[in-house]
Amino acid sequence: MDHILIAVALVLVAAGATVAVATRDPARQSLVLAVLGVLLAVLFTVLQAPDVALSQLAVGSALTPLLLLLTVRKVRRRGQREGDDE
Amino acid sequence: MNGWILAATLTLGTGLAAALWGVATGPLRRRVVAQNLSTAVACPGLLLLAQGYDRPSYVDLALVLALLGPVGTLVFARLLGDELAENPPRARIATGAAAGFGAVVVLALCVVTGPGRATAKLLVTGALLIGGNLLASRALAGPAGAGKGSGAPWTTS
Amino acid sequence: MSPRTRAWLVAVGGSGLAALLVAACFGLPEFGGDSHPYGDRAVEASLAHRTANTIASVNFDQRAFDTLGELTILFAAVLGCVVLLRQTRDEHRARPRPAEVDPPVRRYALLVLPVALLTGLYVVAHGQLSPGGGFQGGVVAATALHLLYLGADYRALERVRPVGLYEVGDAVAVSAYLVTGVAALLGGAAFLANTLLPHGTFNTLSSGGTVPLLNAAVGMEVACAVVVLLARFLDQAVEIEEESGT
Repeated sequence: MDHILIAVALVLVAAGATVAVATRDPARQSLVLAVLGVLLAVLFTVLQAPDVALSQLAVGSALTPLLLLLTVRKVRRRGQREGDDE
Repeated sequence: MNGWILAATLTLGTGLAAALWGVATGPLRRRVVAQNLSTAVACPGLLLLAQGYDRPSYVDLALVLALLGPVGTLVFARLLGDELAENPPRARIATGAAAGFGAVVVLALCVVTGPGRATAKLLVTGALLIGGNLLASRALAGPAGAGKGSGAPWTTS
Repeated sequence: MSPRTRAWLVAVGGSGLAALLVAACFGLPEFGGDSHPYGDRAVEASLAHRTANTIASVNFDQRAFDTLGELTILFAAVLGCVVLLRQTRDEHRARPRPAEVDPPVRRYALLVLPVALLTGLYVVAHGQLSPGGGFQGGVVAATALHLLYLGADYRALERVRPVGLYEVGDAVAVSAYLVTGVAALLGGAAFLANTLLPHGTFNTLSSGGTVPLLNAAVGMEVACAVVVLLARFLDQAVEIEEESGT
């Protein structure tokens, strides 16, 4: 039973990580990354590492998306300004 | 053989696979909804795991996810608002179903746990999860979804 | 070296590494086996100091020096970000337009903010008993503050967040960790040895000796560091604009 659960979690993490790499647009990628964080937290939990899972949840669910999207916003704004100046 | 772990395997296996599929394909409006639903599925799954492993302290994981998951969705709603406003997502049925499922799991676990502090913690987790998810889904729909005109650009600061 | 030779070299080296890794895999103990030489010793040492959460005991007692290194990495990383993302001479601050936030979102943010802050403190305080600790709790508490940005706008967050104070708090917390270590040294034990406080009663809040103290220091450091880091990112994304033209 436990082994099935671990296998399911591992497969989901592998699939999620592949999708995160294959997604090109940073905004969409950060969405995939948020889901990947949840998947990793589940994997850590079924491997009986709740401390690591809690770290992953704390960082991955709100903080990482916020940092990524703020960066995307800054880069896009700069791109727009340069477009206006030309 | 542990029924709780079986239930958790089914929940996490099907629910998170669906969320991953949703977030990997399709337009942005579908992806944000899938991200919101990943919280709504994983949190009851973690609660079931805590019960299945008979480790009450694992409930903390679900509590933190119930708190921060919707906050993450609000981040997306805020910073992708301009893109979403053109084509706001609507997923009443999926959101409602996920909220109902969360409520069922929390209530079942409360019945098993019996009255006490552990039950209070479960109820707080459930309330945060369901309230947070319904609200995050509403926020994704944007001001237009709340009935206001979307003439002015949804400015963010 | 021609590209062809280089490819050959990579292939030979790669296959050698792969063979060694596969051979090492066969020598590993079986997955899910019950022989854990390190785990058994760590649990024994953690029970001797009456710390219920063995991970906290490993992090803040048995290998507290490692955690000091991690703390320093975070401190240095945030310092680097602050320097990189500062306002330069050709940039100016523009007041952002106030954001239009849906009233339910605003109410949710104001309602959940105290709950999330409390949860962060709870996770820090129970680090020696249940999963969690300074890092996790600190991140939760710092994220909670930023609900003000999500529920209102950046100006509302700025009003309750004097960044200077958080920078000081960050440094003070790192010093507190160091001082706890030096105090053990003055008491005649090794640096960061868990000899300063009584070990207390197993599975209560006041157990584990210096573990809760170090957890609190790490919690404060992480919370302040995340707030300072996000402040720089938010400044850059929301307020700071480059001068247009030359």
